[in-house]
Amino acid sequence: MSDLDRQIEQLKRCEPLKESEVKALCLKAMEILVEESNVQRVDAPVTICGDIHGQFYDMKELFKVGGDCPKTNYMFLGDFVDRGFYSVETFLLLLALKVRYPDRITLIRGNHESRQITQVYGFYDECLRKYGSVSVWRYCTDIFDYLSLSALIENKVFSVHGGLSPAISTLDQIRTIDRKQEVPHDGAMCDLLWSDPEDIVDGWGLSPRGAGFLFGDSVVTSFNHSNNIDYICRAHQLVMEGYKWMFKNQIVTVWSAPNYCYRCGNVAAILELDENLNKQFRVFDAAPQESRGAPAKKPAPDYFL
Amino acid sequence: MDVEVDDKDLKAAGAEVLTDDSHGLRIHGWEIVSCNGSILNSSSLITWEEKLKTSHLPEMVFGESCLVLKHATSGTKIHFNAFDALTGWKQEALPPVEVPAAAQWKFRSKPFQQVILDYDYTFTTPYCGSETMEFDTEKKNSEEFLEASCSPCWEDCEEQIDVVALASKEPILFYDEVVLYEDELADNGVSLLTVKVRVMPSCWFLLLRFWLRVDGVLMRLRDTRMHCAF
Repeated sequence: MSDLDRQIEQLKRCEPLKESEVKALCLKAMEILVEESNVQRVDAPVTICGDIHGQFYDMKELFKVGGDCPKTNYMFLGDFVDRGFYSVETFLLLLALKVRYPDRITLIRGNHESRQITQVYGFYDECLRKYGSVSVWRYCTDIFDYLSLSALIENKVFSVHGGLSPAISTLDQIRTIDRKQEVPHDGAMCDLLWSDPEDIVDGWGLSPRGAGFLFGDSVVTSFNHSNNIDYICRAHQLVMEGYKWMFKNQIVTVWSAPNYCYRCGNVAAILELDENLNKQFRVFDAAPQESRGAPAKKPAPDYFL
Repeated sequence: MDVEVDDKDLKAAGAEVLTDDSHGLRIHGWEIVSCNGSILNSSSLITWEEKLKTSHLPEMVFGESCLVLKHATSGTKIHFNAFDALTGWKQEALPPVEVPAAAQWKFRSKPFQQVILDYDYTFTTPYCGSETMEFDTEKKNSEEFLEASCSPCWEDCEEQIDVVALASKEPILFYDEVVLYEDELADNGVSLLTVKVRVMPSCWFLLLRFWLRVDGVLMRLRDTRMHCAF
């Protein structure tokens, strides 16, 4: 058994790798990812997965439902880390699979694959807690810069973490972005990872936060038409039912973190496309409590005032 | 949230754990019940949006979750739920808070026909609980029954919550924390409305807390405390 296969087995048991192993793995991953396009071409059949957010045991449920990699060809739409308890193991397992089977798994960058966001929402702290230093966080966030921004399945299904950008009307415009950087605060790359579809606007909307685009029905219609695609598949937003179509089936949100943050009670979904791009959603629940390594989260009563 | 409570403590306090499906206990004429449910599904979300006349709700609305404290003899019912809290948010309607990146965004080229949304995405609420006077079914059927529900009357007073008494480590007979709603502000912070309760042999005490953090901009805390000594 090669070192890499052994590492994959170890990660499947939710045991993190040694720091030196992470470093070596990231170097290998970098060589593969640097060759990928900003609009990575993907062949069907493929299974599309949304946000995971460090919910390692729920991702194992995902693989039970969808089949193991490399037997199943996977695409993950980002947000591997933050919020959940096992961002390190989750991301490293996906990365190890990517290095082992580069053509059988595609990893797209989400807005949480960023230095700034991971320092606020858990991944940084988790690395520090599990390794006693931030080196692993550095190796991982350096790799984040190499992750592709989007994918195109059989020229017909455009996949991205967040959504569209007013700065982008053609896929070629995405191809020209220099992606090897921290996610910027504005501009096309930021929008692809951050924006959301919105029912109540038809064209473009600006979030009440003063930053962040919302896009409506007509924006999606014209994007899909001018790029000759059937629909957009994205993640980024929690949906109770695991997936949600909008704008007359022109865009679908896929969410793959069941019982999000261990308390929402939502189901998760993955989207399976067969060789003819026929769609099948597979909906799944969170892993049962007994199959999780960690004890149940039952905070002791406290004498709050 | 199951918590190990000593049966002897319960017995000594004259408390009785509810045995049906609900999570709670009876003590000194009070019935205290909490429930923690899932977030609203898409169809309930649409119903709530219609009822609240809004097109935006927090991404996690725990619509079935609640904390209810009922005093049988007086008919007083104090309860906490997301719907009433969001009704308060809708009424207060604070102007939106700009995130730090907004300064940069002002210089971006504007797309054709841009709509600027202006609802209070922080879901800040003045909510401090809901209360009604309720009478049990037997009374409802009787002739003296006049009105199904009315509100109790609150009076200002000089009295303060006895923090010293509350700090004493008497056994906690019942404890729970209920999240009513939560929003991650699209990764710009957190907005969280929760209510915590603890019941001891001498009293019950609860804390309803609205907590907001808009990263790099502001924090906001709105607390409501209630204390009832038996």
